[in-house]
Amino acid sequence: MTERFIISGRLDGSLLPWIDGHARRIGVAVDFGPRSDSAMELRVDGPPALLDAMEMGCLLGPIDVWIEDIRREPV
Amino acid sequence: MSSNWTPVALSQDVLPGMAIPAHLQDQDLVVWRSATGRIAAWHDRCPHRGMRLSHGFVRGEFLSCIYHGWRYGEDGQCRKIPAHPELAPPAAIKVPRFAVCESAGVVWVAPEGETSEPVDLPGFRGFRSVAVNAAADQVARDVAGQGHLGGCDVVMLVQPLPGGDCGLHVLVADGCADAQLDALSHAIEALRRRLEQGVAA
Amino acid sequence: MSVTMQDHWYPVALASGLRRSARDTLLLGRAIRVALDDGGAPVVTAEGRALPVQVKFGHVWTTLGVPAGDVFDIPEADQPGRRLVEVGSVKVRCSPLRAVENFLDIAHFPFVHTDVLGSEPHTEVERYEVEIRDDVDEVWATKVKFFQPQAARSAQGGITTEYMYRVPGPTCSVLYKTCPPRPGEWDVITLFVQPLTETTCEVWPWMALFDDDSTMTEMIHFQQLIFLQDRSILENQLPALLPLDPGREIPTRADMLSIAYRRWLKRHGYTFGAQLVAA
Repeated sequence: MTERFIISGRLDGSLLPWIDGHARRIGVAVDFGPRSDSAMELRVDGPPALLDAMEMGCLLGPIDVWIEDIRREPV
Repeated sequence: MSSNWTPVALSQDVLPGMAIPAHLQDQDLVVWRSATGRIAAWHDRCPHRGMRLSHGFVRGEFLSCIYHGWRYGEDGQCRKIPAHPELAPPAAIKVPRFAVCESAGVVWVAPEGETSEPVDLPGFRGFRSVAVNAAADQVARDVAGQGHLGGCDVVMLVQPLPGGDCGLHVLVADGCADAQLDALSHAIEALRRRLEQGVAA
Repeated sequence: MSVTMQDHWYPVALASGLRRSARDTLLLGRAIRVALDDGGAPVVTAEGRALPVQVKFGHVWTTLGVPAGDVFDIPEADQPGRRLVEVGSVKVRCSPLRAVENFLDIAHFPFVHTDVLGSEPHTEVERYEVEIRDDVDEVWATKVKFFQPQAARSAQGGITTEYMYRVPGPTCSVLYKTCPPRPGEWDVITLFVQPLTETTCEVWPWMALFDDDSTMTEMIHFQQLIFLQDRSILENQLPALLPLDPGREIPTRADMLSIAYRRWLKRHGYTFGAQLVAA
């Protein structure tokens, strides 16, 4: 299953490698889309329970980033 | 000992269905044996939320974490997440493993991928393991060359433990009589006390 | 950052457990002394300086800073007919934040509290709802459901218990659960955690229940049994500090409340007992 994650908050450069590492740890595939200091888009591919797990991990993220919200849409 | 292998337990102390904590230098391990007798040595940490797997339970060929029941197969891979029963866990979720081998009644552990074999000790089998409150290198010096204890032929292996203690694994020669094994047990206890008091063995 | 955690109330004693002889203990790493004055009222001092004191839910609460208000309310506690159960304290060698996070977790019921709060194969954790209520600045989880063989001493046979969870302070948690003798009411079970150091705490469970059948001793023993089972988990989790960056952890949807608690701690800078970088 593939979904689009729209992550918003106070983001910085540490988020991309962090997301990459977490995706590998749980076995989902990630494609990065457009991003700014306040929002980032991802395509995430995996079974529904792992997409949920990806959302859980990303809601915390690395310590210097604040994730306000993650909106998920089917692709 | 110049081998890449470290003795961490005696085979007889890890019965089928048991999981115990062990150490390789400063790393915490879980050593466990499946129902069919297969021994394994893994990092003592569940990938879910960091609970020690050495507190887990063995069912059949699987080790499960005691906290949320995440279940792992012999290859270290997660096979089931009970809170989400419909999920087939991906291969990515797995517990890092160590190389493990049993010989002479001893469980030996090495970093994953080790290709050599532990030192060969023909004619000896693991008898008793004791924890000694003394430094490993001092104990190793004290017992070096000592092939006889309590009237039996023995091999003594010293394993460094975190916190400055060490493990002493005593192997006894095959064919030693039961009465002599009793004497050996007492002698091991006396040796441990002497080592802890810093008196030369 | 962890200074802001000082501006909250923390439990440090049972009011009924205080004697004229002082109780020396710790709060957020600082030495404090809890005693009774000549009039029998609790006093708390740190290095001789008197700290604010409130008595609520049978416990003595104090603070090292300046809280925004009084100790939080639990309105259900004042309902007539409720049995108020003081359990006493249990010392645990774990981060105070880990003690709270464990209290917010239900996926462990079939494995840690086997045949009491849950049992295999009823292990699935269905989706529930979580929010950080900004008006009161508390974390809440609602619509939490779990099948339990013996959910409370007053339960007969297995039922699907509904839960709500509430975090009104950095080291306090309140759970509301279905009350078998009084459908429509909630039993209230709390965990008030006294942070001693970043890796040790004293846990003060407290309950407000509708249960006319159990003796006080039975209710206390039930809660103590549950908590001692949790303690063996809490003292064996790595790393010792609660990670605010999940690091190598793999939270799933069942862990949604724990994630919300960690986010709330992170947002406020409540880091006493927390690990900031990845484990």
